[in-house]
Amino acid sequence: MSFTPHESSFRDNDSVILNYHNEVIRVIYTSYQPHFEAFENGGFMQQLIKEQKLIPHKDITSEIKEIETKESIYKIIKPDYIPFISYPYEWSFSQLKQAAILTLDIQLEALKKDLTLKDATAYNVQFLNGKPLFIDTTSFEIYEPGKPWVAYKQFCQHFLAPLLLYKYGIPDAVKLAWSSIDGIPLTTVAKILPLKSRFNFFVWTHIHYHAKLELKYNSNQTFKDKKIVLSKSKLEAFLLFLKSGVEKLELPLSKTTWSNYYATFSYSEKTFDQKKEIVNQFLTNIKSDTILDVGCNTGEFSVIASKHAKQVIAIDFDYMVIENLFKIIQKKSIKNITALIVDLSNPSPAIGWANTERASFYNRTKYDTVLALAVIHHLAIGNNIPIANIVQLFASITNHLIIEFVPKTDPQTQKLLVTKKDIFTHYTLEEFKHQFEKHFTINSFEKLNDSDRVLFFMTKV
Amino acid sequence: MLQYILYIDPGTGSLLLQLVIGGIVTFGLFFKNSYKKMFSIFKKKEDKE
Repeated sequence: MSFTPHESSFRDNDSVILNYHNEVIRVIYTSYQPHFEAFENGGFMQQLIKEQKLIPHKDITSEIKEIETKESIYKIIKPDYIPFISYPYEWSFSQLKQAAILTLDIQLEALKKDLTLKDATAYNVQFLNGKPLFIDTTSFEIYEPGKPWVAYKQFCQHFLAPLLLYKYGIPDAVKLAWSSIDGIPLTTVAKILPLKSRFNFFVWTHIHYHAKLELKYNSNQTFKDKKIVLSKSKLEAFLLFLKSGVEKLELPLSKTTWSNYYATFSYSEKTFDQKKEIVNQFLTNIKSDTILDVGCNTGEFSVIASKHAKQVIAIDFDYMVIENLFKIIQKKSIKNITALIVDLSNPSPAIGWANTERASFYNRTKYDTVLALAVIHHLAIGNNIPIANIVQLFASITNHLIIEFVPKTDPQTQKLLVTKKDIFTHYTLEEFKHQFEKHFTINSFEKLNDSDRVLFFMTKV
Repeated sequence: MLQYILYIDPGTGSLLLQLVIGGIVTFGLFFKNSYKKMFSIFKKKEDKE
């Protein structure tokens, strides 16, 4: 059997993640042994697993013999399976905030046990069952008295920077995390944030003053050889200050295009109920592991889909929509929906070393079913994407497709055409069917009452 | 002097900041707690009256 290193695991010298069938295993080298023992023997590791803060794992050292690695092996562990990997640039404000607080909670707890986190990237957190979970079991190391937190800068770049961009109403800038693999540089964030942010002591400290010190000292040799000593109590006070600041961060309420979509809806409640019933009926016919709901909006259909599949990935380009959906999921404790900010017309790219370190959105999993309700007119008319291209995309990611055709006469489509010249002569029901039938078989379709919209259930040829 | 062996760059500025702000915050906490203590003494006295 061959093991290949996981595409995102090469920076850490203490362990490596290997692909193993469809899952992953973590090979820990002897260099990390003292740290792992300190983490495990005090019972702290078990405590974090029990509190559902750290990913559980099985020790499989004795089961696997044939691995060849550059260092000598101390232990091999198999972490619990995470069905879908998401990235921080796809998280809404509350998802980021919860991941940030989890990281700081763990660091504060660790310090009490004379341990510390050696890194604090947002990639160390994943969402499982609607809650953040720390997935890097080898991030812990023995705390050396007097040593400041080495991962503080990384924490600010990965968590604080995007959180503050959300807070100050610059959500598009969160996507800057695409362009820099180790979080958003502090000097950049300091320049983007508005002037008023400088008068907030918390923001001034961790971003503006921090960026200034970074510029001043990072090319300075004077401090390079000197040890900066910080007592444990001062470090704790500092971390508590950081945590309470993060806890106090709030997202300003704003009505984005879609967050009040159903309030300005184009068809009646009765028709909406009919649509729900039809979708539910279609889904009953399919056995799905994973369903992708594109343009999920309030997530009403994601919730229906969650009853027909092991997991649902619900995506929308609107950050407020995902923020609201994430809150609903947690409130109702619907564990198998993952809500993410992904724009169908420009989904998350592959980034990092060799373009494989963080996978593109479509490269992360295959879907059994895609729900594409009330989105086709946005793609075809709003974004000028030909129907043939839309068909190709869906054919490449799913077997089954539940799609709603929204005709040109629909009030929502008319809205899109207000500011655009109608060059979409091919946007008709006949053309829609003709193009989709090149790759899909139409199993059934149903027209919505009081509307010209038609729902289709198709399966790939 | 002793050097930390690290796999990420902690940033000298980031370490210095913890030193400066850690001091200020601890100082602040000391006063906050003293204030609370004093306040609680007065409160107890008031209760007795």
